Amino acid sequence: MAGCSGSSSNEPDVDKTDTPAQTEPAGDKSSDAETAVVEGTPTDGGTLTISSFSDIVSANPLFIQDTSSGDAAFFMFANLYDLDRQGNVTAEPWSLASEKLEISADGKTYTIKLKTTAKWSDGQPVTADDVVFTFNAIRDPNVASPGISQFDKVDTIEKVDDHTVRVTLKQIYAPFQYVIASAIVPAHVLKDVKPEELLKHPYGTDPAQTITNGPWKWTEWKQAQNLTLEADPNYWGPKPHIAKVIFKIYADQNTEVQALIKGDVDLTQAIPVTQVEAVKKKSDINVVLEPGPLYEYIGFNFNADNFKDKFIPFSSQKSRQAIAYALNRQGMVDNVLKGTGKLMNAPFLPGSWADPGDAVVNYNYDAEQAKKLLAEDGWVAGKDGILVKDGHRFAFELQYNAGNSRREQVAAVMQQNLKDVGIEMTPKAIDFSAWVEQNLTPGKYEAVLLSWSLNNPDPDSESIFSSKYYPPNGQNSGWYKNEKLDQLWTDGYSTVEQNARKQIYAEIGKEISTDLPYVFMYQYGLPEGLGPKINYAEEDAPEPTLPYGYFFHINKWWVDTK
Amino acid sequence: MTEYLVRRFIQSLIVMFLISIVTFGLIHAAPGGPTQIFLSPGLSQEAAKVQAHNLGLDRPLPLQYVKWLGGLLQGDLGYTFKNHLPVGQILWPTVGHTMVLMGTSWLLSLLIAIPWGIYNSTKAYGWSDQTASFISYVGFAMPTFWFGILLQELFALKLNWLPLSDMWTIDKEGQLGDLLLHLILPVSVLTLGFLAGYVKYARTSMLEVLEQDYIRTARAKGVRESRVIYRHGLRNALIPIITIIGLDLPILVSGAALTENVFNWPGMGRLFVEMALAREYSVLMAITIVTAVLVVIGNFVADLLYALVDPRVQLGRKGGTAA
Repeated sequence: MAGCSGSSSNEPDVDKTDTPAQTEPAGDKSSDAETAVVEGTPTDGGTLTISSFSDIVSANPLFIQDTSSGDAAFFMFANLYDLDRQGNVTAEPWSLASEKLEISADGKTYTIKLKTTAKWSDGQPVTADDVVFTFNAIRDPNVASPGISQFDKVDTIEKVDDHTVRVTLKQIYAPFQYVIASAIVPAHVLKDVKPEELLKHPYGTDPAQTITNGPWKWTEWKQAQNLTLEADPNYWGPKPHIAKVIFKIYADQNTEVQALIKGDVDLTQAIPVTQVEAVKKKSDINVVLEPGPLYEYIGFNFNADNFKDKFIPFSSQKSRQAIAYALNRQGMVDNVLKGTGKLMNAPFLPGSWADPGDAVVNYNYDAEQAKKLLAEDGWVAGKDGILVKDGHRFAFELQYNAGNSRREQVAAVMQQNLKDVGIEMTPKAIDFSAWVEQNLTPGKYEAVLLSWSLNNPDPDSESIFSSKYYPPNGQNSGWYKNEKLDQLWTDGYSTVEQNARKQIYAEIGKEISTDLPYVFMYQYGLPEGLGPKINYAEEDAPEPTLPYGYFFHINKWWVDTK
Repeated sequence: MTEYLVRRFIQSLIVMFLISIVTFGLIHAAPGGPTQIFLSPGLSQEAAKVQAHNLGLDRPLPLQYVKWLGGLLQGDLGYTFKNHLPVGQILWPTVGHTMVLMGTSWLLSLLIAIPWGIYNSTKAYGWSDQTASFISYVGFAMPTFWFGILLQELFALKLNWLPLSDMWTIDKEGQLGDLLLHLILPVSVLTLGFLAGYVKYARTSMLEVLEQDYIRTARAKGVRESRVIYRHGLRNALIPIITIIGLDLPILVSGAALTENVFNWPGMGRLFVEMALAREYSVLMAITIVTAVLVVIGNFVADLLYALVDPRVQLGRKGGTAA
């Protein structure tokens, strides 16, 4: 789901994606990933060194919103539930829950049953109190947890007994199961901290005070240099093979990739596409090319106040469809992304259960079709070759964040593609932080080139496309309104029955790919690199389309200790 | 002399105060302020406001400034916004790391450049002088990060003789031998950069002095050539060089963000870049102030040295030349 509650996030840059995301597994894996598969017995011990492009902010699950912090916390904390390779919410042997999540017949009540064996790293048991404390903290506005909106449909949270928690929703909200599949914090450590003081509390920044419940515990943090985690001798679940995990922070992406090649680090999550070839030349490094749970798009703005003379050139459906036809998306994937992307026509990741597949309108690269649609829409060529209608030129500005070389290149191709059909598009790069503040949050732009990173495999994207979520409080920054879609998005999460949902999302796919609030570009990802020391069985291979999928089943991986 | 010191100290304080106001203002004028940090897509505007309020970010800027200055006067650099870490805890180690890297490079470049420049002045346009010129041009013209990547490619990846980056191998932290190995590549890059300028200065300065009347007089008196150069020439030639060295002192802590990034050296330049991206204003302010203090001290030291080598300069009367 991408939507309302921060289940998705703007992706600032190729270098630093925001929250890690999640989607449907796309099934077939790139064959390169298989080369790390080793027949043999796992050995215990050894060190796994992971490179990271930026330092963590806090490992406190209440406040995690950046990739680095999320990655580190992934090793330190057990989740209530985990995702299997297909993206289903499951109680694994290493999950805190003892059995499958129980959803009542009316779809509103969720019952969580905890394992009685789970313990915190200080020896205290993990109990229902921890779950209740965590959920209540996230819901408390004074805590200012970024997860708050994910809980806005929650009515009550009650402790049934020491190991059972019942959550009741005000309305049916199918994506909620993914909200629950998360980490919790220890109530016995934090319950006496005032809500507004929680952010300042050393829990999450001081390793000694960060009591965790996962396979590895945090032992050292050298700011801006590295973090060290060691297998927790008191861990209650299946023991991990790897004894020590080090996150090494690199300030320069080139150096990071060279460190992987040299063997200073064993795992890099994000190799820039421009460097993939160089890394592949080192035959002992596995490169996982499967795209991740992110997609890029051109977002149109439908608020006339943002345009000169209040004229929106792409206000008609035909004009937006013409733009979609005019763009050579496959060419961009092949040349700019070096093949590491998949075309999309709707906001559902290819291969996911909600992906409507052929039910949506597919926009092949077809300049003639684009010209035809524009002519039907009343556009005629002006003196300078740019189309004109009612005295207005078909010209607009496309904003993207400065320093993102992928978007820079893609925007240049788009500019040419659109010029070929008589549309003048001007790419404009803006510093990311300023862009968010001055353009994205208030919804002030003509068009943007941006991407969404999906935090979980649910197809709900109401908070991006529904007119309920206009700026500045919502993520529908393009002021898009389509009453039919507004209703369908609500219908989509108002049942927990997957087949019924699938049909609704197919209908959404058809409508949205016709009306085009966005031109959906492609699902993409940053290739993961795995060094020769890393071993895993085939069923434990990385699953890039899942959140934290680059560490999928890492508790079962092992490293060569020699 | 005392009067000079006091006056100089007061001047410095005023300068620092102005610098702090200007930086504080400029940093806060930039779009995407610290409150923006909390505006993640997941966090509503209300929650962000609560958080900003908890951190005192919603107060008027002058008030925030006064509070910050008050802390600073008590040696408190403040806390980071995002995770409430003491700024000093993050900053001071990086200052040390940068000084190790820059100090080594700088001393090394001086030790090479000054004798070499002097030698070249005695044999102007000889092969040694030509080589120095060539190296200077290369040093000036080549972007340091690019040269760094080149060295990494060759010595760390192709030949595998030296470590690629960082200050220490992770499990060898604190070992001098390991540190020295890690220093070789970044120091080579930085030394070349410094050397380029200093060798030219030393040579030119020396050449100018050697054409002076008093040198001719000394030679005419039959003073030995080595004594002419080192006793009469060098002492005078050093004066302008010292000025430049003094002005360069702040580079010791601030100057090498690019090189630090390329070699992943955990120094202050790298920290500044990272913190600028994260909009951690308290850290940025601290770095600016530390750098400003060093600029002031650097100028001051240069003035003092100046007086030492040049008896004509009397600080008490002359006053500060560069504040």
